Amino acid sequence: MPVRSLRVSLCAISSCAFPSAVVLACVLLLFSAPAWAAPISAPHLKVDLVAQDASITPGRTLQAGLKFDLEKGWHVYWINPGDSGEPPTVEWKLPVGFQAGAIEWPAPGRLPIPPLMDYGYEDQVLFMVSIQPPAGLKPGTTIPLAATVKWIVCRETCIPGHGEVALSLPVSGDAAKPSADHDLFAKTKESLPRPAPRTWKQSVLTRKDVFVLTLRTGKRVANATFFPKDEDQIENAAPQQVHSEATAIHIDLKKSEQLLKPITRLRGVVLLDGKAYEVDAPVVAWHNHVARS
Amino acid sequence: MKRYFTVLILSLLALFSLAAFAAKVGESAPDFTATDSNGKVQKLSDYKGKFVVLEWTNQGCPYTRKHYESGNMQKLQKQWTQKGVVWLTVVSSAPGAQGYVTAAQENDYLKKMNAAPTAALLDPKGELGHLYGAKTTPHMFIIDPSGNLIYNGAIDDHPTTDAADIASSTNYVSQALEQASAGKPIANAATRPYGCSVKYGD
Repeated sequence: MPVRSLRVSLCAISSCAFPSAVVLACVLLLFSAPAWAAPISAPHLKVDLVAQDASITPGRTLQAGLKFDLEKGWHVYWINPGDSGEPPTVEWKLPVGFQAGAIEWPAPGRLPIPPLMDYGYEDQVLFMVSIQPPAGLKPGTTIPLAATVKWIVCRETCIPGHGEVALSLPVSGDAAKPSADHDLFAKTKESLPRPAPRTWKQSVLTRKDVFVLTLRTGKRVANATFFPKDEDQIENAAPQQVHSEATAIHIDLKKSEQLLKPITRLRGVVLLDGKAYEVDAPVVAWHNHVARS
Repeated sequence: MKRYFTVLILSLLALFSLAAFAAKVGESAPDFTATDSNGKVQKLSDYKGKFVVLEWTNQGCPYTRKHYESGNMQKLQKQWTQKGVVWLTVVSSAPGAQGYVTAAQENDYLKKMNAAPTAALLDPKGELGHLYGAKTTPHMFIIDPSGNLIYNGAIDDHPTTDAADIASSTNYVSQALEQASAGKPIANAATRPYGCSVKYGD
């Protein structure tokens, strides 16, 4: 399959110096609506720069994000892509004084592509980013936000792509109205991994070929899936055996073939009955554990 | 505790039975027989006494194209075969899948790309791929003169499709071959291979 080089020409705020029709379209867009956006349409996906609210409020953090709409069967990647692929990257083009934070990665799914196991997202995903505006924003002005986004979208085959997205938002002193994507932000916040409750006890036992991740959560959990944050620690494609107890859950994770040195911590995200939590567990050798228990 | 121990043992057994045999660094590399694009039978054991590089490839994969269209892979093949290393390119794409080639198509491609492996092995049934646990294209393996696997992993440390990254990359294959030929320990003997999935038939 030929790889197309994706040159997506958009009416970027600063450079509408393209064909006159594009210039006209940009000008029309600029004057026709207080907020406008320029999404990317590329093979197998659409990318859009979106915000939770329809305006920017002076002194408040702007909740923005990159919305990926994927064709059925195609996926993009989590921060640890698993056995292949790479996560999307973003390079912001913001007015002076604006600061963008890092992407907040929602809990991924397991995407089997035998013999590989990838970690990523299908259908639709929002990569949320907080943008800090400078002090002294004046109501009535319009703020142009833009970013260059790079991705690789895969099914059985992979296609790399890149393009520029843009979003222009008015500054308003009034209470912000929700944007059309407001509900998607709410849903995405629910899917972000939350810190593990302080009452939990996390530990990892290491045996010859297996790590056993134990989470003492204080209650019974039926389903669990672990996603490693670091590469080369577990065999991604190996099935994860889960043993549920009244107050704890144990997940068997096959060690990676690439793991030649012992590790001291296992970090990642665990999905427990659909809720995502951060995991950062110390690794204990089996004989130490037996000696202490 | 005892009950949990039993459960653990049972699940360990389950894991072992599911685990595919894959070549492991530090162990003896599995011997194989395969036919190359010139119809010649290639056996790993014939190359005892030499370093052997295995390179999984797929012409259509953007990660493979990064290294071929930039000339990086050809440069490595020439550099190391000139020093006596045996370089075997392997195509494990199944008929009908991306990257599948007939012998003639592979020879045309090698000529067009000015590629210089010792031989290109055709593995449409994926037997060699499964024997080594090849996951991606590219996926690189190095076998030392005594027949042990000394490297399993990526071609370099920049898991991208962008050829502009090659200049600033550490090439793990060259690094391992340099260190092994100098009798030094290999700094990165196992890394996460990056690329497209190998297009096995099953």
